[in-house]
Amino acid sequence: MSTHRVADLAHGRSGDKGDVCNVGVIAYDDAGFARLRAQLTPERVKEHFGNMVLGTVERYEMPHIRALNFVMNGALDGGGTLSLRSDHLGKVMYAWLLRMPLDPPDEIASC
Amino acid sequence: MKSLRLGAGMAFWGDSIRAAVDLVEHGDIDYLCCDHLAELTMSILSKQMARDPARGYTADVLPLMRQVLPTCQRKGIKIVTNAGGANPRGCAQAVAGVCRELALTGVKIAVVTGDNIRDRIDDLMTRGIDFTNLDTGEELATVRDKLTHACVYTGADGIVAALDQGADIVICGRVTDVALYIGPMRAEFGWASDDWHHLGIAAGIAHAAECGGQATGGLYSARWEKVPGMEELGYPILEVAEDGTAFITKTATSGGEVTVGTVSEQMVYEIHNPGNYLTADVTGDFTEIRLDEAGPDRIRISGLTGRAAPRTLKVNMGYQAGFIGEVQFTYTWPDAYKKSQRGLEFLRERLRRADFKCEAERVEYLGQNSMWGDLAGVADSEDVLEVVVRYATRCATAEEARKVFTESVPLYNNGPAGVAGIGTRPPLKELYAIWPSLIPREMIEQQVEMVVSG
Repeated sequence: MSTHRVADLAHGRSGDKGDVCNVGVIAYDDAGFARLRAQLTPERVKEHFGNMVLGTVERYEMPHIRALNFVMNGALDGGGTLSLRSDHLGKVMYAWLLRMPLDPPDEIASC
Repeated sequence: MKSLRLGAGMAFWGDSIRAAVDLVEHGDIDYLCCDHLAELTMSILSKQMARDPARGYTADVLPLMRQVLPTCQRKGIKIVTNAGGANPRGCAQAVAGVCRELALTGVKIAVVTGDNIRDRIDDLMTRGIDFTNLDTGEELATVRDKLTHACVYTGADGIVAALDQGADIVICGRVTDVALYIGPMRAEFGWASDDWHHLGIAAGIAHAAECGGQATGGLYSARWEKVPGMEELGYPILEVAEDGTAFITKTATSGGEVTVGTVSEQMVYEIHNPGNYLTADVTGDFTEIRLDEAGPDRIRISGLTGRAAPRTLKVNMGYQAGFIGEVQFTYTWPDAYKKSQRGLEFLRERLRRADFKCEAERVEYLGQNSMWGDLAGVADSEDVLEVVVRYATRCATAEEARKVFTESVPLYNNGPAGVAGIGTRPPLKELYAIWPSLIPREMIEQQVEMVVSG
C-alpha cells in the first residue's frame, strides 16, 4: 500500500512559546522514521506552512522515540497572547504537518 | 534503594481537581505537584492583587486543598504548588484558613518567594541589568510604564529548603513547572544542586508529567478514539528511585492510558532543542530518551541526562497590549458567500465612519479556514448552506475594540438578508504581551517563610 501523507506514518502534537510554534511528529515504526527523516527537511516543512510561518524552521531529533521536532519561528501571528487567530496557541498546527504529502516510497521501501 | 512517587495534580489554572483527588486517594503518592501558572497568568494575578491585596493567587487551589488535605495529612502526602502566583503569602493565609475549616492543626505551610522583581526593577537597572528584550533587542523603556508584572522563572532551591524544614505544603510564586518536581527529588534523595545528570533526569521526567492528562491519553493524536475513560482521565504518577531509574504510570481507578505513544507526544510538547532544555535548575538533554513498556499503563523512561544550569535566569514580564474586539455572524443560502462579503464590506464601512482604529485585523470563516488561514480554501459556490464569519481586531483601547460589536449590530436589519448568529455583546478580551529577558542568577535569591495552621 502506498502512503500519501505524514499522517500515514506518524502522529504528533504542537504548542506555543511566544511567537514560536513547535510541532513534534512521532513515527510509528523505524521505516517510517527513516522516510520522514529523509523527506521532512526544514525547508520543505517551512514551504508546507506557507504564510503561516514567517521565520525559519529548525529540526531536532529524538531518535529512540522516533521523533522529529520542528521549531517554527514567527509562526503564531505575533505570539499566543497577541494573536488574532482562533488557534492562537498553535494547538492544531501539528495536524497541518500530518497532512503534508509525501513522495512515493522508493522501490526498496515498498517491497 | 529509596524511591518516590510524585503525582501531577493540576496542569493549569482552572484545571479540574478530580485527577488530584484520585491521585491522593488511590495513587500511593508521596507528593502532589500542582502547576497553576501559564506564561501570562502572573499578569492577570497581579491585576487582581492591585484591586484586592488579599487576592493575586490562583483561587482554584482552595477547593483543591479542601478536597485533598484531610487525606494528604492522614497519609503524609506533601503538596508542592506554584498557585501562590503574585501573592504566595496571601495564598498561604487562605490555605491556613482551609486547614482551620477542616480542623487540621499543626500543618506546616511554607511560602517560597524571591521570584517577584516588580519593585526591584529600578534598583536592578542601576546595577546594570538592562532587561533588553531577548527576542527583539528592544529597550525596556518602550514598555516600562505599561508593565503588568515582572517575575523570574526560579528553580527548586526554595522548595528544597522548605521541605528540609519539614513543610507539609510548599506554596511558591513563579517557580518553573519542573521545579515543582525537581524540589522533592532533591530534598528526598539528597541530590546536589550541581548533580547535573540526576537533575537532567528529574527535569525530563517532570516535563513528561507537568501537563497532566497530556501524557495519559488527553490530546492523543494517534488513536484517540480508543483512549478509554477520557471523562475521568488519570494524571501521571512519576515513580523514581535515587539512582534515577524512572517510570511514569497512573492509577488503575482512572481513565486514560500510559503508553509509549502518549508519553512520546508529551515529550515533544513545547520543547525546542531537546539537547538544550533550559531550566533554572539544569540544562536538560533529552536527545537520547528511551521509552519502554514495563507493564500495563507503565512506561520506563531512560536515556535522560543534563548539563550545568544556565548562568542566567529567564525574566518574564507582561505588559498591557490592548484589546481584542471581535464579532461573529452567519450568512445562509442562497449566495451565502457573496452575502458574507457584502456584510463584511458593510461592517468595515460603518467602522470607518466611526473613525475606528486598529493595529491588526483578521477575517476567518469558521468551519473552513479558521485554523490554517490561507492554506485552506473558502467555499464560494452559490449552493453552500452557510458561511460563518469571524471578524477580529486588535485595538489600543477598550473604546476602539467595543466599536466592532457596536457597528456590527445594524447587520441584523440594515444589511443583506439571511443573517443570524450575531448574538449579544461578547466580553472584551484584554491583551497582555510578554517581555522576555535574562538576569544573572546571583541577583535572585529565594526566601522561605513558614506558616503553621492553628
